[in-house]
Amino acid sequence: MVRKRALSDPARALLAALAAAGREWSYGYELASLTGIRSGTLYPLLIRLEAQGYLDAEWQQPAAAGRPPRHAYRLTAAGRRLALAEAAGPDPAAARGWSAGGAAS
Amino acid sequence: MSGLARRLASALAASASRLLPRAASGWSGAMERELAEIPDDPSALRFAAGCLRAAAGLAIAAWLSAAARALAFPFLPSSWSFPAMTRLADRPRLLGLACGAAAVALGLAYMVAAGAPSRYLLVNLGALVLGASAWLALGRWSTSSLPAAGPAVVALAVPLLLTALFGVAVEGASRWVSVGPLSVQVSLIVVPVMLVLYSRRPDAVGTAGILVAALALALQPDRAMAGALLAGLLALAAATRRGLALLAVAASALAFGWTWLAPDRLTAAAFVDRILYSAFDVHPLAGLAVLLGAAAMLVPAAAALSKRPGDRAALLAFAACWSAAIAAAALGNYPTPLVGYGGSAVLGYLLSVSLLPGRPGEAARRGASATAEAGAAGAERPMSELRAAPLG
Repeated sequence: MVRKRALSDPARALLAALAAAGREWSYGYELASLTGIRSGTLYPLLIRLEAQGYLDAEWQQPAAAGRPPRHAYRLTAAGRRLALAEAAGPDPAAARGWSAGGAAS
Repeated sequence: MSGLARRLASALAASASRLLPRAASGWSGAMERELAEIPDDPSALRFAAGCLRAAAGLAIAAWLSAAARALAFPFLPSSWSFPAMTRLADRPRLLGLACGAAAVALGLAYMVAAGAPSRYLLVNLGALVLGASAWLALGRWSTSSLPAAGPAVVALAVPLLLTALFGVAVEGASRWVSVGPLSVQVSLIVVPVMLVLYSRRPDAVGTAGILVAALALALQPDRAMAGALLAGLLALAAATRRGLALLAVAASALAFGWTWLAPDRLTAAAFVDRILYSAFDVHPLAGLAVLLGAAAMLVPAAAALSKRPGDRAALLAFAACWSAAIAAAALGNYPTPLVGYGGSAVLGYLLSVSLLPGRPGEAARRGASATAEAGAAGAERPMSELRAAPLG
């Protein structure tokens, strides 16, 4: 049986921030600062979003010399649909298969 | 100092990368590299500490997944992999049942290795079955806002007081009641349950029940469970900073202090007390089983703490209570919960687990519950603010 789940506040906040960025890439610390979600909660959420096909993640070469490559994120089409559905109001059906992650750790 | 903080942050982030389970190995380095973008050292240190906590949680979830599949549930479908187990960490009730059963199973393994009477094994197994039944029965009630939590706390304090006054006394301690051939330690059953109930709804009625419980533990006296009550209430007070909780802390601190006035003359009972050490004399693996079982008891709260801010008070109180009970067993002649012989602790653990918050989203639906309000104090940004952001 497929269980319907509601998204947690941090998961919705993260989706909203990623959706607001559109096709632009976002980064871990930037997302943490923007949403107020702490890293201990942020990364499990990102990992889960990617595992469930809602998030694209890739390594990007640094813009400035001497900096390390960065891991960057943006929503997939499915992720944008999920974010839009969440913004319109909690719709458990849209969140099917996605577990509500936690919040600040 | 600045360089030291940055080096420590780098070390923590590197440890986080190493801890990540195989299923998330593609993320190795993602957290570590991000540190370079954080300008100030304290923020970098906090960020790295959070990453380590996240990686540890994911590693535990992956380990539990593998252990459950290999040992307890060989019939689980292979789809029960990493994402499924991280979802399980969101559900402390369910995870608590699994961890409780695992701890009892590890305790049984120790007792078999140590040559305990088969009756001991049956008692622990029976308590596990009884506790699991209560877990099922209490499912619906635990997901509510627990309007009757206060009266329930008072009701639970009554048997504790009656035990102090009329219970079976051994060496000056009156902690037990006889149920047929069994001696039941009432405090091990009711104190953890009271703490979880009270932490989810710390109202005046519940506070009255806690005061009665503190009095009862002082009268018995029961130093270990008075310490567990104090530890749980301290965690609750730290999470909620409510006046009533502080009053409860003060009363339980007095009770705990009182228990130190009289010496605890009980000698260690075989398969019950001191087994955190003596199990290693049986066999190193028996000792390891006991330690792992004791650690498993804390996993549900530890795994859910970062994911369930609205339920922080209950999770912290639960973890503090059982940590104190385990510490008492390590330091004195007090029962070693779940892994040692004794059905009271098994029942107490599973009952307290039963009343932990259930599936994600329930805290939000509870809305006006007192604990949700307390947890909301720790929320970092209102959702309405983020909802207002344009979606791309």
